[in-house]
Amino acid sequence: MHLRPIALSLAGLLASAATVADENLFGYVKGAETLPEDAWEAYTIITNRQDKSVGHYEAWDARIELEYGVTNKFTLSGGLVGQAIDTDGIVIDGYLPEDKDSGLTFSGAEASAKYNFLSPALDDIGLSGYWELDYTTIDPHSGQDKDTLSFGSLLIAQKYFLEGEMIWAGNAGIEATYAKRGKIDNLPPDFEWPTDPEMEIELLLGTALTYRFAPNWFFGAEILYETEYETEVGQERYSIFAGPTLHYGGPTWWATFTWLPQLTGGGEKFEGQDEDYHLIEKTEQEFRLKLGYNF
Amino acid sequence: MTRIHCAGPWFLPLTVMVAPAYAVDYLSAEQAQRLLIPGADSFLEQSVSLSEEQRDAIRARAGVRQRTDTQLVWRAERAGELLGWFIVDEVIGKHEFITYGAAISPQGAVMGIEIMSYRETHGGQVREEDWRANLAGKTLADPLRLGKDVPNISGATLSCRNVVDGVRRLLVLHEMVLTRD
Repeated sequence: MHLRPIALSLAGLLASAATVADENLFGYVKGAETLPEDAWEAYTIITNRQDKSVGHYEAWDARIELEYGVTNKFTLSGGLVGQAIDTDGIVIDGYLPEDKDSGLTFSGAEASAKYNFLSPALDDIGLSGYWELDYTTIDPHSGQDKDTLSFGSLLIAQKYFLEGEMIWAGNAGIEATYAKRGKIDNLPPDFEWPTDPEMEIELLLGTALTYRFAPNWFFGAEILYETEYETEVGQERYSIFAGPTLHYGGPTWWATFTWLPQLTGGGEKFEGQDEDYHLIEKTEQEFRLKLGYNF
Repeated sequence: MTRIHCAGPWFLPLTVMVAPAYAVDYLSAEQAQRLLIPGADSFLEQSVSLSEEQRDAIRARAGVRQRTDTQLVWRAERAGELLGWFIVDEVIGKHEFITYGAAISPQGAVMGIEIMSYRETHGGQVREEDWRANLAGKTLADPLRLGKDVPNISGATLSCRNVVDGVRRLLVLHEMVLTRD
């Protein structure tokens, strides 16, 4: 299996090249703080997604981002997206047409902005708005060609407890996606692979709490609820992921590692899958490593 | 029950006690003492041990936790006359503690503060003299709140808030413990 060494090499390369950013205490749930004016942060996010209860499924997502504090309240970010996938012995009608084994491949770009309305350190509660635009050319679920344009909007709340030793964050957001799949030759008989443009709306709710148990070290947990809606079927599926998160923050760099297994899910299913999960576009396990450098 | 005692040999130089490998230590306790109370000819260690009840009372009055039961305190004198108190304190920064020294007059007014160690990526502006000058002269009669009578430094908000809250806590400690000396 060659995916893991590639992803870890990428993380290592970025770790050695970059120098610090808007410190992410959590792997998935976002915090409300913005970078100070004129500060830069570079970071990489490596996500491993695995297990669909049938066959072998493992995917790696890689992001490299650069963030800049335009003002003390407004941060801009841009980044590149790549992915790798290895599937074997699993076919999902309409979603996974064939086995796929691809190394790390460039798949798109993203841009985002965050504006801080209330400071978590100064006001009773911190509040920020976050907007993200993504464009990718590869389907992250199947590894097949698929042009996808997504726009997401997120409201972020954050509060300090115990003078900052304990930190809570909450997210509520919506993402609209336009997608068009590329054609595939030699599909299995009767396999559904629509190439007409499609639209999807996703709602997201997240909450997380972390505690600084030693200087520089935070340990906490996060919960993520996601649900997707489509014009024809209404609520298509939903999932709840929850798990622990460990964070280290130093003066020049930080790292966050999160394990987020799927606790439960529902909606559309494929034949033979575990009944209690949403596994068509999600997996049973996700692991995420973030590395950030401030300069 | 309040105990004021002289520090034993375990009171290593503060910079050694609190410094991780990459700490940025700007001033030792002795250097901060001389800067804040230059007229003193002696600084006598009279660190304070606090009971649980006293810590609770400080929290209730100051609105912020008294995290430790021992506070490093020096009595500043000139020719035997009390000029003020020098207190070393730690407050929570984003990743590590911010160590600072505060001088408080016998009447309970802030004479000044000095940041002794600061280890964070951002927010080092709390060391700037202009900002620290906002704390001079403050007493418990003042609100002593960031964003009210002490201006915030954007990009250093958590550090500013915790230092200001820390100074307010030290004024309460001074009134509750040191004025009884």
